[in-house]
Amino acid sequence: MKPNTEHQIFSSYNKKDGFFDEVFNSNGDAKSIYKKLFDLYGYHSVAEYVQLNNKAKASFFNQGITFQVYGEKEAKEKIFPFDLFPRIIDADEWNTIEAGSIQRSRALNLFLWDVYHDKKIIKDKIVPLELLSSSSNYLHQMIGVDPPKGIYNHVSGIDIIKHADGNYYVLEDNIRCPSGVSYVICNRTALKRALFGVFNHYQAHTVTNYAENLMEILESVKPQGVDIPTCVVITPGMYNSAYYEHSYLAKAMGVELVEGRDLFVENDFVYMKTINGPKKVDVIYRRIDDLFIDPLEFNPDSTLGLPGLFSAYRKGNVCLANAPGTGVADDKAIYTYMPEIIKYYLDEEPILSNVKTYHCSRQDELKYVLENVDKLVVKPVDEAGGYGISIGNKLTKNEIEEVKKRILKDPRKYVAQPILSLSVHPTYIEDNNSFEQRHIDLRTFTLLGKDKEFVLKGGLTRVALQEGNLIVNSSQGGGSKDTWVLKK
Amino acid sequence: MSLEYTVTYCTENSYENDVSEAFWQFCIIPENNTTQDLISWDFDNSLKALNEVSINGFGFQVVRIHPKQLFKKITFKASFKLVKKEINPYDFILNHEVSEDYATINNIVFIADHEPFLRKTRFTKLAEKYKSLFLFDSTKLIFDNLLELNSWVFEHLYFKVGVTDVHTSLDEVIEKRHGVCQDFAHLYCAIARENNIPVRYVSGYLHQGNGYFGDSQMHAWVEAFVPNVGWVGFDPTNNILVEHNHLKVAHGKDYHDCPPIKGVVYSKGRNTTKYVVEVQASQQ
Amino acid sequence: MLARVANNLFWMGRYIERSEHIARFMNVNYFSSLDAPNTLSQSRQFVLKSMLFMVGRPVSNDELILNEEQVIYDLGLNSDKSYSILNNIKAIRENANSARDLISTELYEAINKFYHFILNYESDVLVKRGLYDFTVNVTESSSILRNKIRGTLLHDQVYAIIMLGINIERATQIIRIINTKYNDALNAQGSYGNKIAHSSEWSTLLKCAEAYDMMRRLYKKTPASVTTLEFLVLNADCPRSVMNSLNQICSHVQVLDQSKYPVKNSTSFLVGKLRSKFSFMQVEEIEKDIKGFIDQILDDLFKISERMEQEFFNY
Repeated sequence: MKPNTEHQIFSSYNKKDGFFDEVFNSNGDAKSIYKKLFDLYGYHSVAEYVQLNNKAKASFFNQGITFQVYGEKEAKEKIFPFDLFPRIIDADEWNTIEAGSIQRSRALNLFLWDVYHDKKIIKDKIVPLELLSSSSNYLHQMIGVDPPKGIYNHVSGIDIIKHADGNYYVLEDNIRCPSGVSYVICNRTALKRALFGVFNHYQAHTVTNYAENLMEILESVKPQGVDIPTCVVITPGMYNSAYYEHSYLAKAMGVELVEGRDLFVENDFVYMKTINGPKKVDVIYRRIDDLFIDPLEFNPDSTLGLPGLFSAYRKGNVCLANAPGTGVADDKAIYTYMPEIIKYYLDEEPILSNVKTYHCSRQDELKYVLENVDKLVVKPVDEAGGYGISIGNKLTKNEIEEVKKRILKDPRKYVAQPILSLSVHPTYIEDNNSFEQRHIDLRTFTLLGKDKEFVLKGGLTRVALQEGNLIVNSSQGGGSKDTWVLKK
Repeated sequence: MSLEYTVTYCTENSYENDVSEAFWQFCIIPENNTTQDLISWDFDNSLKALNEVSINGFGFQVVRIHPKQLFKKITFKASFKLVKKEINPYDFILNHEVSEDYATINNIVFIADHEPFLRKTRFTKLAEKYKSLFLFDSTKLIFDNLLELNSWVFEHLYFKVGVTDVHTSLDEVIEKRHGVCQDFAHLYCAIARENNIPVRYVSGYLHQGNGYFGDSQMHAWVEAFVPNVGWVGFDPTNNILVEHNHLKVAHGKDYHDCPPIKGVVYSKGRNTTKYVVEVQASQQ
Repeated sequence: MLARVANNLFWMGRYIERSEHIARFMNVNYFSSLDAPNTLSQSRQFVLKSMLFMVGRPVSNDELILNEEQVIYDLGLNSDKSYSILNNIKAIRENANSARDLISTELYEAINKFYHFILNYESDVLVKRGLYDFTVNVTESSSILRNKIRGTLLHDQVYAIIMLGINIERATQIIRIINTKYNDALNAQGSYGNKIAHSSEWSTLLKCAEAYDMMRRLYKKTPASVTTLEFLVLNADCPRSVMNSLNQICSHVQVLDQSKYPVKNSTSFLVGKLRSKFSFMQVEEIEKDIKGFIDQILDDLFKISERMEQEFFNY
């Protein structure tokens, strides 16, 4: 079915039934919240729109917001695909998302404290011990360690989708080093440069206040006895795919962007090497994975980290954000216990729903999964970035058998969920010179500090650019959109 | 009665080419506990790099060294003086009922509290085919089972230096039936954990005056959790309970949690390491 | 500021300045040779060798016949030649990348645009008809960068370090250009009877430093060796002179080292000493032994750079 429009740039927009279209009603009219925007966009001819789109792309390119693709000859730089048609979330819906994100972050923080201290939730048999004892992300070095001000997941990225029923569901929690926040800000900048006029008709919340809030959070978890803390951002280096984000955050917070080799540890204090000699570092926003932060304590082959860092952390002389060992709680197997975890620690009902999940480690559920592989999404519990996911209705008969074999080989490694139909949104497809339906999700960024919580009013809307594709991760060729949270 | 021990630990590292930067972390200082008192210690290196005393991720005292110049060779020399109480290793009261023992170890609170030492690591995981190598007799007290396991490991493996190293898999040790104290300790840990007994791998020094097995390097044994008693030391390399000849440094899930030396060294080419440990005793 | 990042900023400054000088040298020499007053100066081989001399790759074999397109490609866009403008600009960007959090968005964006322009420049176009366009673009883009440095960065340590890099490199490049053109003048003198002191190479030299108009305004005479050296080395009012660069180096180094009495042999000390020497130098001393003077000043500048490394960039 076509939307009711004569606009040229919607010529190949084909509205499929069964998906939740965020912009068009079932009768093909633009929903009231999108009405104005739809008219403003539709007004452009294809040629004009192509020009705007190219300008926006050039804006990313010139700002150096790129990632490297290593080809046969030389490394090529590419920009992350960006779509100019923004996604709008109204104030009421946003309030639910925001409250739900904070609730999850707080519950995860309490869960982390518990599993690294008394393990009450295990002893009360709410969460099986198996989930800790079989997780390589459960760091024994963190047992009994009190992170400054009791905060583990200072930064959480929560991935949320809108299902066909119009409700939001959490897909996963990312509380190791969630990335993407710089794209939220770049997307806004690019959209403002290309189509400033559209902002006159909507009152969207700003997204540029993320860095100042992150800075407040980091300062709030300063070590005992430090008056004005020195904070830094640590990066694996300029060849890391998220280097732009690391440098953006350091610049926006006005702190140094360091690499492991810029730091040293002496008598359990951390210092950075400046042109005026050593300077003590108090809070480290780290964008290096757990196992690489200290070669003397974790992966001995790591050249990214800092020998002795963990001892300094353990002693409380430096704060790491996020704390080491948070990975145990964003395991996909822990995810399925989130409703119980929220109830256990906060005595509240979850504000955001979980997707029903089947554990292949449980006999009865394993049986169901094996019988219904074609109707399920099967995921390994410990892979990030969309790797190893199989989507049942896309598989051939042989592939289904393959998946079953893989599950049976190590059932504990897999969980399965019903195939969700992610909502769809008009996305400009260059090859067809028209907007088309594409699936989207939303990553929210939640900050947790001492007596402070913050959710960025916007978040990253990710788009699966291939038609019908449900995997939106940028490492799998996904794009993104500016996301407007409207003021009340 | 007490015994005074003097331990010396020397190691020499040589590199084919200049080392531009190096960090070492030594976990070799005997701990203070109810049976041993560290009186004094001393640690020197040939480059006069400073000692940084710190605590590692598992709570044990370590010394970190970070030389500030280029070098090709460095020697370290440590010496420790400690007083050890002469103890009767059997001085404890066991449960009367066998069932109490098993009720304890099957309680979720107990399991959760001892999770790290029940975990099967890469070096303490029995392959499926070896799971029935040694089975606990559930009609006997856990302590008695552990004692039998001690003898079993002692008899199953043949002590031989140089045939295994710290990366040798447990499967290979079981198949070839030989190894050094680390391998004895790993096998003990694997079987005890398979039977749901928390057990710690222990790194320390052994006074060999009594003709015990060990070598001129550090020794390894285990501590298993005996219900109603607590952690009890077993030395499967010598088929004895741990007593005053065992000077404990640290413990972990396996060797890799508490190796005597960890290093990050930036240099190209080959390197060689020599090291020697001496333990001397005198009665007080 | 991190020592490693300071080092990156310093070299970013040096490479910005270096690419500009190489580009201008190519441009001025190539185009002024087209109608040079004597046959040797007009010879294409002579000009190409001069260019290679300038980037530190002198051709000692007189018999060797260079391929013009190859030399222009090597200097402009050959990524295998460390001295090429392309590699210089890559180095600017690489250094800027690791200091990205410290430099302004505007400066970074300008560097990035510059980089993409050069990267996408067709080598065929460069060697066949683009030499003028290419070199002018490089010099103009460098000006934009210098402007962004002055106008969009806080004038603090970050700025001081970049400016130190720019000025040390400028002094070095001016000396290198003097050296090259002196060498050219030596080689050209026999061919048309003119004395080295009145060689046309001195005018070219001034143009290479964008100082020809300034010089004419001040001296109102055709440039000769003495006046040219005096102007390009000792005249503090000439923004391209060694003296001017030394004055700037002095004031920027004071931002980093604020001690009233600099420690013996510190950067600040060495810079001050060198500047004092130049303040009271007479052009006749230079002219007596141009070669010796050039070696000495290059060595002094190298020592300052080396000392800076130990003092500020040690990480």
